[in-house]
Amino acid sequence: MTATTTHPEAPASPPTHGSILSVRDLRKTYKLGRVKVPVLHGVSLDVAPGESVAILGASGSGKSTLLHLAGGLDRPDKARKGAPRAQITFDGRDIARAGRGELDRYRARDVGFVFQFYHLLPELSVLQNVTVGAMIRYGLGYARSRGESVAHARELLDAFGLGHRLRHRPKELSGGERQRVAIARALINRPRLLLADEPTGNLDAETGAQILDVLADLREKFGLTMLMVTHDANVAQRADRVVRLGDGLIQQD
Amino acid sequence: MYQALLTRKYLTSKLMPLLAMIAVMLSVVTVLVTWSVMGGFLRSLLDSGRVLVGDVAITWPATGFAHYDDLIEMLEDDGLVVASSPVIEAFAMIQLPDDRTEAIYVKGVDPASFDRVTGFIDHLWWKPLDTPTRRDKDAIDWRLLPGNRDDLARIFENGTTMTRPDPDGGPDEPAALLGIEVTDYNQRNSAGVYEPYSPAKAHPDGTIEDQNTFMPRSGRVTLTVLPIAKGGRLTEPVTRSIAIANEFQSGIFEADSKTMLVPLTWLQDMLDMDEGGTVAEGSNLLDLVFDPETGEFVPAPIVTTGAAPARVTTVLVRAQEGVTPDEIKAACERVYREFAGKYPGQVPRPESIQIQTWEDLNATLVGAVKKETGLVLFIFGIVCFTSVFLVLAIFWAMINEKTRDIGVLRALGASTNGVAAIWLSYGFMLGLVGSTLGVIAATLIVVNINPIHEWLGETFGLVVWDPRVYYFVEIPSEIVPFNALIVFAAGILTCLLGAAIPAFRSARMDPVKSLRFE
Ligand SMILES: Nc1ncnc2c1ncn2[C@@H]1O[C@H](COP(=O)(O)OP(=O)(O)O)[C@@H](O)[C@H]1O
Ligand SMILES: [Mg+2]
Repeated sequence: MTATTTHPEAPASPPTHGSILSVRDLRKTYKLGRVKVPVLHGVSLDVAPGESVAILGASGSGKSTLLHLAGGLDRPDKARKGAPRAQITFDGRDIARAGRGELDRYRARDVGFVFQFYHLLPELSVLQNVTVGAMIRYGLGYARSRGESVAHARELLDAFGLGHRLRHRPKELSGGERQRVAIARALINRPRLLLADEPTGNLDAETGAQILDVLADLREKFGLTMLMVTHDANVAQRADRVVRLGDGLIQQD
Repeated sequence: MYQALLTRKYLTSKLMPLLAMIAVMLSVVTVLVTWSVMGGFLRSLLDSGRVLVGDVAITWPATGFAHYDDLIEMLEDDGLVVASSPVIEAFAMIQLPDDRTEAIYVKGVDPASFDRVTGFIDHLWWKPLDTPTRRDKDAIDWRLLPGNRDDLARIFENGTTMTRPDPDGGPDEPAALLGIEVTDYNQRNSAGVYEPYSPAKAHPDGTIEDQNTFMPRSGRVTLTVLPIAKGGRLTEPVTRSIAIANEFQSGIFEADSKTMLVPLTWLQDMLDMDEGGTVAEGSNLLDLVFDPETGEFVPAPIVTTGAAPARVTTVLVRAQEGVTPDEIKAACERVYREFAGKYPGQVPRPESIQIQTWEDLNATLVGAVKKETGLVLFIFGIVCFTSVFLVLAIFWAMINEKTRDIGVLRALGASTNGVAAIWLSYGFMLGLVGSTLGVIAATLIVVNINPIHEWLGETFGLVVWDPRVYYFVEIPSEIVPFNALIVFAAGILTCLLGAAIPAFRSARMDPVKSLRFE
């Protein structure tokens, strides 16, 4: 997995000091049978702690791919000869070279994902959909931290105006409500980085705006760092900084 | 933790996997019921096999061996032996009151010691009964009638002593016990009990004479045997008439239709195996000489000068409770060596005497039990194999359906093993519930198999085990806990195996691809 070590190349530029997430020379190529589909051609990006960055790009430009790589759900390409090695540094740790267990822990503790289609588990209640993140994080130790986790989940759901719907199933909720449950789930383990993949993409403008309010609120309250991808320039405007993704590269303004 | 939560949720919300659970439950029920009933039949067959044999038989066929009283004394001194009894076994012909002749296996026994070894008295059929047998719901058993009580009590007493009083007031005469199925005068009805009826004798002139005989009361048979002369050769057949004291049911049809017990001394006398005659000093009963007439080796003629001791063909041995067949066999061999050392040249050598356990003697039955177990396990294997595929298919479909959820869990930090554990835990729970229900259902069925069977018979006329046809009155209704445990564990294993491959696949699924699904 970490075959990048076989071509130890010095990174073209070192991670910027003071950034919590630093991406360097990220390449990703999908294989469709024998056809190679290059998606990212060497993306570099820095996000400062507490910063909110929007990545704007057309559909199919590789936004989700970038987010998945940053969140440790996928691996970048192995470095080719002569090319610099891809780096994803979170809080000084190189995620691109982390082992499997370390990646699992990274996703469980440091990152929270929010998806366009909410991706709630249909069999679980609203409350369980939120606490499941804590169950995954603590494993058998969840028995001990259960009270604290449930209290935290209630607190989050209360804050999102869902306190009275804890026992409901996701299918009984509206799209906006579902997305708020998904955000609560992403926050249950108090991550420092929230990765949102078109969080309003499936919602009408008004509901989408409400979701963006919630996210802005969270940033303010918890100093959460946020990386959000969208194809909607209006949505991107809500972030501190907007970067464009096109042709597999971050477009310089 | 989340595995347990999801397992619980899936168990209560998913229908297809419940079908897998039902399949496992049915497999468990099928196998456990079959195993219990089949095993039960063969076990009761084996137990019956011991009724006429005891635990070990020490045999020297045909000519028999002498000084058996001493051997019995020595055996009974052994700590592992409870009792020992002399027996003569021979083939014979009997003629029944209606003039039919039957080939039969006749055993000369000493009732008191034979009962100590085999417990045959418990198997005497004709005795007064206070409560009907289990199958006899309508209490139609002839033995229950108060009017028959005294008569049957006397007949039972006759059976225990193997004698019958002389109707004219003379001394009791020696009497025989017939297997209950020998004469065909006892008809087994649907309640599994016998109704005696009188034989009718057809005369050459075409008339039919009703014998009006109940065998144990007034019946007699004529027995013909071929004695082996003191010299070892077969001599002229000897025919004698003997009264019938009672009839027995051992539980093995072969034995009950082909065996007759007679008093030992009576048979010894008939076969010329009793004490008497004279025998030459030092001559060996077991020497063989070439007979130029027949071209065969035959026992050497004995020059009779001294008194010949009485002989029997077999000494039966009953072991203490808990002694294994091998242990008691070894004990018998040890005692016999000592015995043979005491009578050099007069009794069969330890190497040539036959010492067999009841398992050896019932080798066909024991073999059947072992084959049966193998067969059950084979069927079990196939049934489980089928269930494994069913579980596999259902889990495979379910994991396809849950691809996105698996991706979500991975995004939340679940490891590949953690995801696989969901399906294994789910499979385990399905197996646990299915197996538990299966074992409970099987136990209920087996314990109530006779009422169920009767109910089937009454409601649908569906009598599988008709006591008139089959020799078993009752279907065995016992679950062996060890077998239940094996079937239970196998049921769980089935689900685990079926879940394993889909679980492995779910672990290998790319979370990114799963998340792109919508
Ligand atoms: N597993 C895959 N195999 C082949 N091509 C893929 C795969 N996943 C994504 N792609 C392609 O990669 C490109 C980028 O996808 P994605 O990151 O989802 O774009 P975006 O999120 O910006 O719409 C798209 O053209 C998509 O078709
Ligand atoms: Mg996308």
